[in-house]
Amino acid sequence: MTTEQTSILILDDEPIVSKRLKPSLEKKGYEVETFTRSADALQRVMERHFNIVITDLKMEGMDGMQFLTEVKERYPDTEVIVITGFATMATAKESYNKGVFDFLAKPFKLGEISEVIAKAEKKIKRLER
Amino acid sequence: MRNFLLQFAEIFVKKKHSNTPFKVLFADFKKSLDLNNQILDIIGDANDKLSGDYIFDEHYIHTTCGQLTDLLRELIVTINHLTSQKYTGLFNSFHRIEEDLALILRGKVLSQDIPLTLQYSDITRDLVDAVGGKNCHIAEIGSYLGLRIPRGFAITTSAFELYWKAGNLDKSVAQIREQWLDEQLTLSEASSRIQELILKTPVPDILDKAILAAAAEVVGKDGRGKPCFAVRSSALGEDGVTSFAGQYQSCLSIPPDQITRAYKQVVASLYSQQAMEYRLKKDFRSEEVVMAVACQLMVPAKASGVMYTYDPLRPEGETILISSAWGLGEPIVAGAVATDHFVLERKPPHKAIEMQIVRKDESMVITGCGGLNNVAVRARQRTEPSLKAGQLHDLAKTGVLLERYFKAPQDVEFAIDQAEQIVLLQSRQLQLHYDRLPRACDLSGIDRSYPVLLRGKGVAAMEGIASGPVWILDAEKDLTDFPMGAVLVARHASPQLAKVIHKAAGFITDIGSTTGHLATVAREFRVPALLNTGDATTILRDGCEITMDIECLTIYEGQVPELQHYSLQEEAIEDMFEYRLLRRVLRKIEPLNLVDPESDNFTPENCKTYHDLTRFIHEKAVETIIDISFYHAHHRDTQVGKLLWEYPLDLVLIDVGGGIDGEHTKGILAEQISSVPMQELLRGMSWPGVWDMTPSRVDFNSFMSSLTRTEPIRNSSPEDVGRNLAVISSEYTNINFRLGYHFTVIDAYISENILDNHIYFRFSGGVTDTARRSRRIKLLGRILSHYDFLCEVHGDTVVARLKRMDRKSILKRLFLLGLLVAYTRQLDVKMINDTRIDQYFKEIQTIMEESNDN
Repeated sequence: MTTEQTSILILDDEPIVSKRLKPSLEKKGYEVETFTRSADALQRVMERHFNIVITDLKMEGMDGMQFLTEVKERYPDTEVIVITGFATMATAKESYNKGVFDFLAKPFKLGEISEVIAKAEKKIKRLER
Repeated sequence: MRNFLLQFAEIFVKKKHSNTPFKVLFADFKKSLDLNNQILDIIGDANDKLSGDYIFDEHYIHTTCGQLTDLLRELIVTINHLTSQKYTGLFNSFHRIEEDLALILRGKVLSQDIPLTLQYSDITRDLVDAVGGKNCHIAEIGSYLGLRIPRGFAITTSAFELYWKAGNLDKSVAQIREQWLDEQLTLSEASSRIQELILKTPVPDILDKAILAAAAEVVGKDGRGKPCFAVRSSALGEDGVTSFAGQYQSCLSIPPDQITRAYKQVVASLYSQQAMEYRLKKDFRSEEVVMAVACQLMVPAKASGVMYTYDPLRPEGETILISSAWGLGEPIVAGAVATDHFVLERKPPHKAIEMQIVRKDESMVITGCGGLNNVAVRARQRTEPSLKAGQLHDLAKTGVLLERYFKAPQDVEFAIDQAEQIVLLQSRQLQLHYDRLPRACDLSGIDRSYPVLLRGKGVAAMEGIASGPVWILDAEKDLTDFPMGAVLVARHASPQLAKVIHKAAGFITDIGSTTGHLATVAREFRVPALLNTGDATTILRDGCEITMDIECLTIYEGQVPELQHYSLQEEAIEDMFEYRLLRRVLRKIEPLNLVDPESDNFTPENCKTYHDLTRFIHEKAVETIIDISFYHAHHRDTQVGKLLWEYPLDLVLIDVGGGIDGEHTKGILAEQISSVPMQELLRGMSWPGVWDMTPSRVDFNSFMSSLTRTEPIRNSSPEDVGRNLAVISSEYTNINFRLGYHFTVIDAYISENILDNHIYFRFSGGVTDTARRSRRIKLLGRILSHYDFLCEVHGDTVVARLKRMDRKSILKRLFLLGLLVAYTRQLDVKMINDTRIDQYFKEIQTIMEESNDN
């Protein structure tokens, strides 16, 4: 594993999302960790830095909006991608206000999220330089 | 009497309608069309989600069902408003489907409408939830792959439900299970209590009789002396995951009158300790704990055995393992006797690379009905191989075939019958164990290690990894020659291609959409399919070995072992609850059973799915609006009349405002039409040379013949004037052409405000699928896409949409639609081969250019 590998954290309370996304993204060379409970994900974020965080919004316990706020406060350079089945203008707006990189409504295609991730990755690399 | 009542009802309805302004009725009609389109779009989208290309969750399935239910309810209210409550019976069918959907969404596996037993010859893939994986697989092997299987039948989940209800087992089993989960009972206590309860429950009489009758039917076909059955579990999900193997009981050598007793034992084993524990670990909902049972005639086997299509411990060795011995297979599967071992190469001609022949002293044989015995093997046979060289080769070939068909390595049980023929008893997924599991991240970078033929092109109709030799379908080739295991590469994703779905490793096309028929079938059979690549037929070479990785939209030259091994251990998409759930709800939504409006079963009561309801309502909406407008030509706000034209277009016009100039008595002249969209459509239809003036054949199944009927118009009833209707205003046109089950709908609005402008075009070529009809659909799809329509082909329906274009561009495209309507009139007859598609496409393009110059 090279140090250049882009790391991604996925948080969604429906296991199928991580189950499908993880192998697909790993195949593209990303390092992926997945969580179904926001508390676990938050704990992991306290332990290490991720380049990209992909999170659902509506979840039990701490919701996605809170989670991404915490992530952004701690690591402003982490790009956050929101995926949600309850897409409204208001939540999209709020997400962008919090500095979210992009907002995808579920269901989405594997290709669509890969594209968004690739763009986020590009931005990260550009900023690093 | 019934007729009289109907007539009376009609008069009453007409009276009511005569008080309602046409504009109001038309608004209902328009609304029903809009709802119809929305519903069909959502259904198409939902099927697309089965491709594996989407990330969707349970929430999506719930929302989609909710949306459809709301739209359907509104549609039924609308049609009843339009028809003065003529079709309230639709609510009953609707509520039935809605309730079923609610149950399915709660995780329940429904089995109503399914008989208590099903003969193997009647089992198809979509019945898997009713008969379980084991039954379904073996029946498919018999019917789709044409391989030899034992005669038999399934005792379905319907039977299970009946039995469960008879003993009121739902509640009592759940109670004991709860106690186990609360640790008030040990697993062994809970398991034996539940099994006791089940065994105590008598099998309902009706089920007992059904089982006897089914067994008699099987025996009747066989005609042997004293047949007996093997009774085994076929639980849901049992075949998908190997870990279930051996957890349930099997009863062997059971005479027909004892099957019911054996059935109870097998069902009770659903609550064996291992099974209960296993389900808890896996993603199985308690509602899914349902068992079908397999009853197969015992094969008096000379020899039996087990084949693994991969070495589970060393898959990278690319070998097939076979173990066998004399007599019945039971002791072999149980590992109770010594067996011969054979190792063969996976690649043809499947050379045997290892043979280990052991001494076989005993074998199990059937001794009359109800009896199994271990007998001594004849001295000469003891050290002989239990399989002949030819049989080994045939087994290996069969194994590869099964693996390709089921898309996973297989664990196959087989018998060699007295005629030395291979009979397949069971085939299920084989779990492979890698020293080091191939991981997805190992695959990153393989696109640099193997030559890539095609990348980033096309759309995924079905995800997956597949390899095989390319077989390009061209004019010289016949689909019936398609070789087993090849990748079919074709110009168009024609529905015809689905014919080779059982043979194809994968599909690649230049043109095609993920909502077409081929895509749907590819999903049903999980055959990887990449459509709309643009130029695959020119890039790929016939006979060249390729590997396709659809998820990455990449085609490699040759074999890519890393990908193949990775795909072998990847979790199958149908092992995910959400996927199974979407499939189950779609069965209540998507199939179209009501196809022929002229048939007696075209009634609200016969609507079994949301699609049926939608179809029925659309038919009735068009019918009603034509009836109403014809009987009620005297509204002050509307004008109605037939179009008098030099071309035999049999069209009723209803003007709702500014669509017709001046007075008319006998009919409306084309010059009187002031509706802009209608003018342009007529201009297209009357373009020189486009209208074929030869009288069309009297063919009532042909939509165009109704459109162009040449006989004189009799102004008597709507039945006689046909079903061609245009509702027009100065800026708006809505046309519905209909006869039998063919439709064309055009809806267009044109103004100076670009945002309001739209064209909607729907063409259905009927349900029976002929090659010519599908060529016509292809031609339409190609032309419409070329002229910027957003075009979707669902089966043999084309839907084309266009929005927000300026006035001039809209006019040009309305002209095109007029052209197409007139032009395609004879196309069914003339579309004798695919090259005609190109020819007509060019002709249309030429006319479009000419018309622009004018």
